[in-house]
Amino acid sequence: MKKFAYELFLLGLIGVVFAIAAILDPRFLSKNVQLELSSEIWELGLLTLGMTLVIITAGIDLSVGSAMGLCSVSLGLCMHANLPTWLCALACLVTGLTAGALNGSLVAFMKVHPLLVTLATYGMYRGFAEGLQSATTNAPVDASEGIKSLAAGTFPLVPLLFAALTVWTAILLGRTAAGRGLYAIGHNEEAARFSGIPIAKLKFWIYTYTGLLAGLAAISYSARRSATAEAGMVIELDVISAVVIGGTSIEGGRGRIAGTLLGVLLIHETRQFVDWYWQRSELTLIVIGTLLILAVLGHRFLFAQNPKTR
Amino acid sequence: MKYRREASLLILVAVLSLLATLFDGSFVRDNTLDILINSIPTMIISCGVMLVIITGEIDISVGSLLGLLAAILALLCSTVSPGLGIHPYLAIPIVLTIGTLIGLGTGCLVVYGRVPSIIATLGLLIALDGAQDWLMGGGDIKHFPQQLRNLGTGTKLPINLIFTILVVVATGLLCRKTALGRRIYAVGSNRSAARLAGISEAKIKLFVFALTGLLTAMAATLWVAKLGNVSTSTGAGLELKVVTCVVVGGIAIRGGRGRLLGVVLAVILITMIRTVLNFMDLGSEAVKWQRAIEGVMILVAVTSDHFSQRQQSGGSS
Amino acid sequence: MNKWLSLIGLSLASLLITGCSGSDSERDDGTSTRPNSDRITIALLPKLKGIAYFTSCAEGAQQAADELDNVELIYNGPTTASADKQAQMIDKWRLQGVDVIAVAANDPAVLSESLKKAQDAGITVITWDADAQAEDRSFFVNQATAEAIGGGMVDTMANDLGGPDAVGEVAIISATATAANQNEWMKHMETRLQSYPNLKLVATKFPGEDQNAAFQDSQDLIKKHPNLKGIFGISSVSFPGAAEAVKQAGKTGEILVTGLSTPNDMQPYVKGGEVKTVVLWNTQDLGYLTVYAAAAIRSGELQPGATEFTAGRLGKKQVSGDQILLGDILLFTTENIDQFDF
Repeated sequence: MKKFAYELFLLGLIGVVFAIAAILDPRFLSKNVQLELSSEIWELGLLTLGMTLVIITAGIDLSVGSAMGLCSVSLGLCMHANLPTWLCALACLVTGLTAGALNGSLVAFMKVHPLLVTLATYGMYRGFAEGLQSATTNAPVDASEGIKSLAAGTFPLVPLLFAALTVWTAILLGRTAAGRGLYAIGHNEEAARFSGIPIAKLKFWIYTYTGLLAGLAAISYSARRSATAEAGMVIELDVISAVVIGGTSIEGGRGRIAGTLLGVLLIHETRQFVDWYWQRSELTLIVIGTLLILAVLGHRFLFAQNPKTR
Repeated sequence: MKYRREASLLILVAVLSLLATLFDGSFVRDNTLDILINSIPTMIISCGVMLVIITGEIDISVGSLLGLLAAILALLCSTVSPGLGIHPYLAIPIVLTIGTLIGLGTGCLVVYGRVPSIIATLGLLIALDGAQDWLMGGGDIKHFPQQLRNLGTGTKLPINLIFTILVVVATGLLCRKTALGRRIYAVGSNRSAARLAGISEAKIKLFVFALTGLLTAMAATLWVAKLGNVSTSTGAGLELKVVTCVVVGGIAIRGGRGRLLGVVLAVILITMIRTVLNFMDLGSEAVKWQRAIEGVMILVAVTSDHFSQRQQSGGSS
Repeated sequence: MNKWLSLIGLSLASLLITGCSGSDSERDDGTSTRPNSDRITIALLPKLKGIAYFTSCAEGAQQAADELDNVELIYNGPTTASADKQAQMIDKWRLQGVDVIAVAANDPAVLSESLKKAQDAGITVITWDADAQAEDRSFFVNQATAEAIGGGMVDTMANDLGGPDAVGEVAIISATATAANQNEWMKHMETRLQSYPNLKLVATKFPGEDQNAAFQDSQDLIKKHPNLKGIFGISSVSFPGAAEAVKQAGKTGEILVTGLSTPNDMQPYVKGGEVKTVVLWNTQDLGYLTVYAAAAIRSGELQPGATEFTAGRLGKKQVSGDQILLGDILLFTTENIDQFDF
């Protein structure tokens, strides 16, 4: 029980949000509303899975949102050319994979700090997305019927995929040598090197995985809205916030998928409710920013086992 | 070679100038002053963020903070409603104080709250952006008194540029010539050794965050003075530009290493990319790729340097 | 010990909530319409909040809502011109069961799905300021088509530069390269420019929403093209940025800047001479008309096929097909700009 104390704390916070909602506007808690609003959550959720792994190794990926935009545009180009659905989806995933692999190889093999790499690719991927869109279709592309029925149809493919990937990522992290390796890298990279952990290989794959997830998120987004260079704009802030609120240490070495899921839920419910009730976009920003700081403060003061470790 | 980074940045600046000169013979003569003036906000804030990064922390809230402070200054000074029409010489000290206090608050979160600086300032980045929009209410704010505009548009002398040079020189002196400067580096390069030497890590970090707040307020003042217009998008994205300039300038992201000269060159380099691209005859199609081209150039700047560094340190590791 | 206490407190709170939400389960269908159906809730969605243009529209809308005593007005929009954020807001309004959603669309394609769902839920969807796909809404409160806006800006510039035979180079400073509205306007601007053979479009710039970049782009254009006679600043960031750059380059009167703006917002530059003419329409009237139209459509007073309807102080307004027309484009110059306050 003690091991999951922080997760309980998060659950409590989500409870508080629900309590406030119950008092102010119970309609927000109805099954129908919650179900409808949940369509916003899957892309955020998918991206946090990769980001959790990245942050556990003391890395960061600022470029996920931009990569998502680039994937969405490449999906749009394929749909515009009337390619078969599977090929469109594949192209989108490959774009994500490539974007992630570029980040991964610069971080893993050229040993450039991930903040620098992804700061640069953040601007670059978005620039390519905007350039590509305005040089070709010059407008967002409506999702083809194939993509729509694949990712936004009656069959809940995206939620199921998210669930499967969550379980897979959690097992990878908690039950495999690779997972232990990731924690070891985040905890002390030097020590991890001496104990023979394939640091470069692991790092490469987690950034590539994050890129792939950006591709998946782009398909989900494009099916719901349309294929556009705007996809994933500023989502990286929510992704990083959710992972950190979920108890993953930005300094590496600590974090769990369970916490990340609760972080996603907390951010999602808070954002949706503040938007829902107060109808002031700027207030939502203030609340989310404050929530992020408070959650980390709460973690520090309520749960830090050893207050000296920073 | 000690000044390797500075040299390669200088070469890049020269290459870009040469490239632009091919398109317009008088490029250097016509644009040097304007490029320097356009780099002012980034330059001033980079001085602060550089010191923060040298201590091993980071501050990514400066874009939103600049926006918020510009909005406050605008509301205080603007001569038409909703502005209060306060004299700029009274309003500017108020804004500088608010900036310093917010910077100090950030420092407290990091030092006493033990919130990792990237998270504390990410939270502030989001929250202050909201606060700026909240404060601005309806729309742009214009109509500033001439005393304020003179700071930015100068009558004869570019006061803002002279002021910026003073800030840069003072930062340089702080780094190289003072005990405080040496302590800032010491905290970042070896925390335990610094502690043993009796340096208060907490005080040093509070100082650099507060200084960054103050410098951001100065940049906000000059921004308003120069552009004469504050909107809800003022300052958006500036934090990424500043951090990019600082790291391209050779400040180690893990702290302890790097020189101001590199940062100054990087600020100039990154500011001039836009002007150089404007002067090259990019066709109407190519201009759509401008942001992508900028991104590629920054990626090259960030990674190419690691190539050379790796070769240098290859023997030791 | 403290932390365990707080934990227990929070857990209790969450249990409490589970109870609360359980007791509300009979209200499960969040979309049910309100019981007192004579009151109308109108949600007014601008392209973005925080610029003078939409704020003045909102003021006019509020006047109309105050006059019509059965209308409740909600005004909210994204903080940047994001179609995605707009779609999220439309989805929420649908779930909250508002009666009318009036949208200034950032992007027809992105909004399409959300608007269709809102219509399916029985909500009256209209557009104002910028249209969505025709099948996604019932009426469009049309202040000016993209063609009229783009053409209007070009005609104004040509007129200020000396009429049909105007000679010189002009440039456009837009927003981002993917901004849908600006791209639409630019398409029509380029078409209209062909009827002025001596006006040559030499450059188009995309500084995004970055004030400093808009200023820098204008400054560079002025130096790069010595024969530049006019700049179109077609976003709320690039218009003042271009005017300020002209002013600081000492080219006031030599290079004219034009664009869309409320008269109050660009008044300093009109007085200063950098801007000779500002193109716009009465934005307060636009918001006002939108709310009157929304109420009339909801109550059935205004139906497809009508040719006119009465909108409060604006009197009779013409309806053409599925479009409600606001009226003419206004041109603000130094002579008349003080007569307007919005």
